[in-house]
Amino acid sequence: MEPSSGQELLKVQHLHKKYGAVIALRDVSFTVQRGEIVALLGDNGAGKSTTIKAISGAAPADSGQIFLDGHEVTIRRPADANALGIQTVYQDLALCDNLGICANLFLGRELVSRPLGFGPGLLREVDMEEEGRRVLKTLRVNLPSLDTPVAALSGGQRQAVAIARAVLWGTKLVIMDEPTAALGVAQTAEVLRLVRDLAAHGFGVILITHNMQNVFEVADKVVVLRLGETVLEGRKKDLTPEDVVSCITGSRTTIGGMA
Amino acid sequence: MNGTAAEPQQGSALRRWTHRLVESSDLGMAPVIAALILIWIIFEALNSNFLTPRNLSNLSAQIVVTGTLALAETFVILLGMIDLSIGWSSVVAASVFAVGTVFFQWPLWLCVILGIGSSVVIGFLQGLLVSRIGVPSFVVSLGGAMIAEGLTLAMLTQHGGSVPLSDDLSTAIGTLNLPSGWSWGVTAVLFLAYAGVTLMRHADRRRRGAGEAHTIVFAKLAFTLAVLVIGVGLLCAYQGVPVLLIIFLAALFASAILTKSMQFGRHLYAVGGNAEAARRAGINVRFVQLAAFTIAGALVGLGGLLDGARLGVASATVGDSDIMLNAVAAAVIGGTSLFGGRGSVYGAFFGALVIASVSNGMDLIGAPSSVRFGVEGVILLAAITIDTLLRQKRMRSGRA
Repeated sequence: MEPSSGQELLKVQHLHKKYGAVIALRDVSFTVQRGEIVALLGDNGAGKSTTIKAISGAAPADSGQIFLDGHEVTIRRPADANALGIQTVYQDLALCDNLGICANLFLGRELVSRPLGFGPGLLREVDMEEEGRRVLKTLRVNLPSLDTPVAALSGGQRQAVAIARAVLWGTKLVIMDEPTAALGVAQTAEVLRLVRDLAAHGFGVILITHNMQNVFEVADKVVVLRLGETVLEGRKKDLTPEDVVSCITGSRTTIGGMA
Repeated sequence: MNGTAAEPQQGSALRRWTHRLVESSDLGMAPVIAALILIWIIFEALNSNFLTPRNLSNLSAQIVVTGTLALAETFVILLGMIDLSIGWSSVVAASVFAVGTVFFQWPLWLCVILGIGSSVVIGFLQGLLVSRIGVPSFVVSLGGAMIAEGLTLAMLTQHGGSVPLSDDLSTAIGTLNLPSGWSWGVTAVLFLAYAGVTLMRHADRRRRGAGEAHTIVFAKLAFTLAVLVIGVGLLCAYQGVPVLLIIFLAALFASAILTKSMQFGRHLYAVGGNAEAARRAGINVRFVQLAAFTIAGALVGLGGLLDGARLGVASATVGDSDIMLNAVAAAVIGGTSLFGGRGSVYGAFFGALVIASVSNGMDLIGAPSSVRFGVEGVILLAAITIDTLLRQKRMRSGRA
C-alpha cells in the first residue's frame, strides 16, 4: 500500500439530524484527507456519535452531503458504508470472545469453498490464517497464535484485533470510537502507534476521544463539535490544548474578547 | 501487545497448550473425560463386570438415544438458549413412524421421513417464535413440549398408549451389530481419511509458516487412534459394533463437520458468543437461530426413531421419563456452556457416556433408582458449577 497522502478522502457537508423534536446535528462539516488522522472532539451531546452514525450508516442524517473521493455517496445502512470502504471500530469492539483471533478477523465474511458449487461453505481456515497474519504483519501487531480465543487477550491486543479487522475490510477510512478509553499507559501507546501506522499506509482515520493528550500526540487535524455544529476545524500545529478546550466548552469567544 | 504474559516464550508445546487452556477459561473436554475415567474406576472396583466387553457393548447402545438428543440440545445451547421439548418431540417422531408402519402399512422410507419431519416441523415452528418474535426459548419449548405431548396422546391413546414396532428396519437397527471384520475395515478407512485430511492441512499450514508443532498433531492423531482401537476392540470382543451406535456416531461426525468446519457453524458460535457483534458483522442472526432449532428438530426426530427401534415400541410413557432431562444434563456435563457460544458437539457424546455409565453401573451393583438420581444430580450440579465459575472468572477479567 503506497501512502497517497494529501488527497481529499471524505468530505462531510451540512449534516443535519433531528431525533423527534431534538436537533442532534445542526450543521456539521469537515474533511478528511488520505493519510490524515482527524480527532473529532466535543462535549457530551455535542453530536460526535450522531455524526459517526451518519457516516457509518447506523443512523443516516436527515440532510447534508457526504463525498467520498470527490463523489457524492448515499449511506443508508452499515452495509453501504462497508461497501464504500468505511469501517467503524466500536467502543465495545464488537468481538466474539469465544472465537479465535482469525475467526474474529473474518467474522461474517469468512473465506469459504463450495466443493459442490452451491450450498453451505467449507471454511478455508489456512487461507484465512495466512491473510490474517499478513494484515497483522503490515500493522506490526504481535499476537499469539491466531486460533487463540479473543477472551485470552489483553485489552490492547483486543483493540488491535478490532483495528486489524477494520483494515482487513475497510480500504479507505477507519472510524474509531474511544479506542484508548479502557487501556493502560503502555497499551494506549501501542494503539496510538497503530493509529499512526494506519495513516502512514494511506488510510484516513477519524478518532473520537476525550483524551486531549492523545489528540495532540497523534492527530493531524482537530474538529470540534458543539451543540451539533462544527465550531473548529484546524491543523493541530496551529492550535494549543487551551484553544481546543475552550472551543469544546464554548468559552472561546469570552477568551477571545478578553484578549 | 508484544506477547506479554499471554504466551510464555519458552517451554514445551505441551506447556504452552496447557497454559492457553487455563488462560482461555475454556477447559474443553478435559473435565468430562477425567470424570468419566473416575466413574469407570469406581464402578469397576465395585463390580468387576462393569468393564467387560459385554457390558460395554450394552453401554454403547444405551448412550445412543441420550447422545442423539444431547446432540440436538447442543445446537440450541450453543445459541445460549434451551429446548425443553426434545423429549416429547422425539416421542412424536416415534409415534408417527409407528402409526404409519403398523396401521397404514406405508413404505418404510416414507414413515422415516414423516417421523423425522414431524420433529423438524416442531423445531422449525419453535425457532420461528424464538427468532422472529423474540419469545424466550425456555417458554416456547415448554409450550412446544405440551403440544407434542398432546399430539402423542392423540395418536397413541386409542391404541392403548403404545404401539409395538414389527418392521424389518427398526428390528435391524435395534438389534444388529456390525461383524468385527466390517467394523475394523470401516474404522480403518475412516481413520485413514481423517488422518490424511489432518496431515494435509497441517502440512499446508507449516508450508505457509505457521501451525502447531508436529508433536501436538501427532499426539492428537495417536490419541484418536488409541480410542478407536480400544473401543472397536472391546465391542468386537463381544458381538461387534451395534448399528445404533454407528448411526449415532454418523450424526455426531456430521454435526462436528457442520459446527467446526463450515461457515454456518462459525456463525452459530458467533451468535451464541456475542449476538450483537455477530449482527454488526453482517451475520443473519435470526436465520442462524431458526436453522439451529430446525437442525435440532431433525436430530430429535432421529433420536426418537432410534429410541423406538431400541425398545421395539413407540410408547407415550417414554415422554414422561427423564429422557429430556438426561439429554440436557449430558450436553452440560459435556462442557457445553448454558450461557452460549462455548462447547462442542463431542461433549454430547462424552456427557451421554457419563450419564449412561452412572445408570448402567448403578443397575449393575443393584442400587435403587433413588441413589442413581442422586448421583446423576450431583454430577450435573458439579458440571454447571464449573461452567458458572469459569464464566465468572471471564467476567472478572472483563471478557464475558
